[in-house]
Amino acid sequence: MNNLKLIWKNAARKKLRLFLTVFSIFTAFLIYGVLGGFQSSLDEGIDIASGANRLVTVHKVSFIQPLPYSYVNKVRSMDGVADVTYAVWFGGYYQNPQQILAVFAVDPESYLRLYSELVIPEDARKTFFSDRRALLVGKKMADRFGWEKGQQVPIQSNIWTNQEGSQTWEFTVAGIFEANDPKIDTSYLLFPYEYLNEGRQFGQDSVGWLVVGTESPDINTQVADAIDLEFANASTQTKTDTEKAFNQAFIEQFGDIGLIVASVTGAAFFTILLIAGNTMMLAIRERTSEIAVLKTLGFGNGKIFTQVILESVLVTLLGAVPAMALAGLFLKGASAAMAGILPAMFINTGMLVKSAGIMLLLALVTGIIPAWKAMNINVVTALGRR
Amino acid sequence: MAIWNETVAVTAMTVKSLPQRIWVAIVTLIAIAIVVTVMMAVLAMAAGFDKTVAGAGGVDTAIIMRAGSQAELNSGLSSEQINLLAEAPGIVRVGNQPQASPELYVIVDGIKKSTGLSVNLPLRGMNPIGVELRKDVVISEGRMFETGKNELVVGRAARQQFAGFDPGSTVQFGKTTWQVVGIFEAGGSVFESELWADAKVVQSLYNRGNSYQSVRALLDGPDAIQKIEAYAGNDPRLNISVQTEADYFSQLSKPLVSFINGVGYPLAIVMALGALAGALNAMYTSVAARQREIVTLRAIGFGGFSTFVGIMVEALVLAFAGTLLGVMVTYIFFDGLTASTLGQTFTQIVFDFSVTPELVVQAGVLALAIGLIGGFFPALRAARLPVVDAFRNV
Repeated sequence: MNNLKLIWKNAARKKLRLFLTVFSIFTAFLIYGVLGGFQSSLDEGIDIASGANRLVTVHKVSFIQPLPYSYVNKVRSMDGVADVTYAVWFGGYYQNPQQILAVFAVDPESYLRLYSELVIPEDARKTFFSDRRALLVGKKMADRFGWEKGQQVPIQSNIWTNQEGSQTWEFTVAGIFEANDPKIDTSYLLFPYEYLNEGRQFGQDSVGWLVVGTESPDINTQVADAIDLEFANASTQTKTDTEKAFNQAFIEQFGDIGLIVASVTGAAFFTILLIAGNTMMLAIRERTSEIAVLKTLGFGNGKIFTQVILESVLVTLLGAVPAMALAGLFLKGASAAMAGILPAMFINTGMLVKSAGIMLLLALVTGIIPAWKAMNINVVTALGRR
Repeated sequence: MAIWNETVAVTAMTVKSLPQRIWVAIVTLIAIAIVVTVMMAVLAMAAGFDKTVAGAGGVDTAIIMRAGSQAELNSGLSSEQINLLAEAPGIVRVGNQPQASPELYVIVDGIKKSTGLSVNLPLRGMNPIGVELRKDVVISEGRMFETGKNELVVGRAARQQFAGFDPGSTVQFGKTTWQVVGIFEAGGSVFESELWADAKVVQSLYNRGNSYQSVRALLDGPDAIQKIEAYAGNDPRLNISVQTEADYFSQLSKPLVSFINGVGYPLAIVMALGALAGALNAMYTSVAARQREIVTLRAIGFGGFSTFVGIMVEALVLAFAGTLLGVMVTYIFFDGLTASTLGQTFTQIVFDFSVTPELVVQAGVLALAIGLIGGFFPALRAARLPVVDAFRNV
């Protein structure tokens, strides 16, 4: 009998117990995979989506306050600034008020220059630059609503009333954009600022925030400080930060909820592992006399030690690997089904490495004590116990 | 009667011998306690948030905003509209004065004490009538702001969670400096997360001219909402929506509450399955450990039924003890725990975790189910142990 077969025979001697142990490991890693994957996707999403040399300038009192349009050109002429674009939050919803969409009114050309990671078909780009009712739709949103190029889409705004006194604004889908990295979230919509600015009843010639491209990420801080200093004595003061810091600060505002869910489930994860580990140790302890027999037959100490450890590894992997795979599938499905509500979710490399580490740790912790004991079994005492 | 006596005897024996299998018992107990704790902690967060937000609104108060705006933050009402609304039917009048409060709702930056991070705080601008309308508001320290001055009163919860809001201190928003003159309480509702100041001062700081964002009005009867709607429907200048404050706040709390519940329940069920597997393993081990004892009983004439009940009772006792432990831990560590998060209006909402009786019942049912299933199959095995084989194997 070769080693692997012996290990499997030992692990599976009580089928029901093996199944139950594997199952509880499975549930623990499923929880870890889904919640941990969600968390790390959020973090990584911010990382990739934030341009290294992009700064965001908002009104100092709060980001809901508009900035005067004149700031765009003032910032553009400053040292270290390569490009400037601007955007306004449209407060859009589709069909019913609960179905909130991320819709931004932007300056088409400069926006696409600064967000060069967006991949847009050439004809869609042209329409976006020339037709002010053009709507660029992120791939995930197009999938969610089944929108196609050329389709008329009415979107309502909970902020902006148009000249007809209506909250409903008409758009034509100019095309669908993707990002050059599938991990970048594309669940938002873009349309030309001019359409909003000429159509809205109040707030003309103001913008929501500026996005500033610096000449190099190394001078981000200097440029940010220079912008805020420039407007320090103006009636509207600004607050400039890197795009990453800005996005992070927003996510972190959810704060306590994420922290509490994470710590509670973390505790649960380790407890389930503890319970499973306990059973695994028990399963090996029961076999003291058999191990003594193996030793009598001439199995070396090292070989017995390795066998017991490998048995733990096997049981752990049987539960954990399918769990992580299922968690990955679940995250993919959930982010497709809830595009616009949840970000792009996936199990990234960092998560894989971490989960592999935890698997190994579990296998070692549960294996090492019984393996050590098995190795040091005194044949005479063990067999004589009966 | 014999079967009753037998069952009592076996059960007593089982429970008394529990300490001998202490590790198995502890594992089962902890597994169940953890399921109970996690489920209750997560759901107590949803319950607490709902209580704070949805509980803030009265059914006798209407909130009037621009149509389609959904939240006060997005809304805008001109001074003309405010004046028209003051004439609306359905609003309680004291003397000639309509009990209606035009208000502003804007965001200012604050610092969260626990993390030192910058957060969005709601600043509400209102006239003295706004305070009169909220009957459960009391100034617990200092005094109310005075009209025309850069003075703030701060909600109890906001002061506790965010830095720099003790009475007497000054805060800077952009270029303006504000004096904190008092702390108010509002029955633990979402209003306690807010800062309040004089409407005129907020209007000038935010370049809002004479405009407001919402009107709160005391309703004079159950059909008052319809009266106001009919009145607005006849006047094209009044492009507004009217709803009771209770409806408004429950709609604001719904997305987050259903999100937390949507995470919490599946999480609890998956964990319960994992714990059930652990409990089954433990109970099978326990039956195996007592094999000799069980078959001895059977050999001297005890029936399978009493053996079955004995094991079941062990599982249920452990499930019950686990529930008790879990509920205790949740009460001690989570009930009343204060947290804050970003609400639907892009501002921080401070809320307390709330362990409600329904949650205790739900967690208890789940734990009981683990106990029942976790006990049933091992008990069945024990009851069916063939006496002769078992002796041979021991």
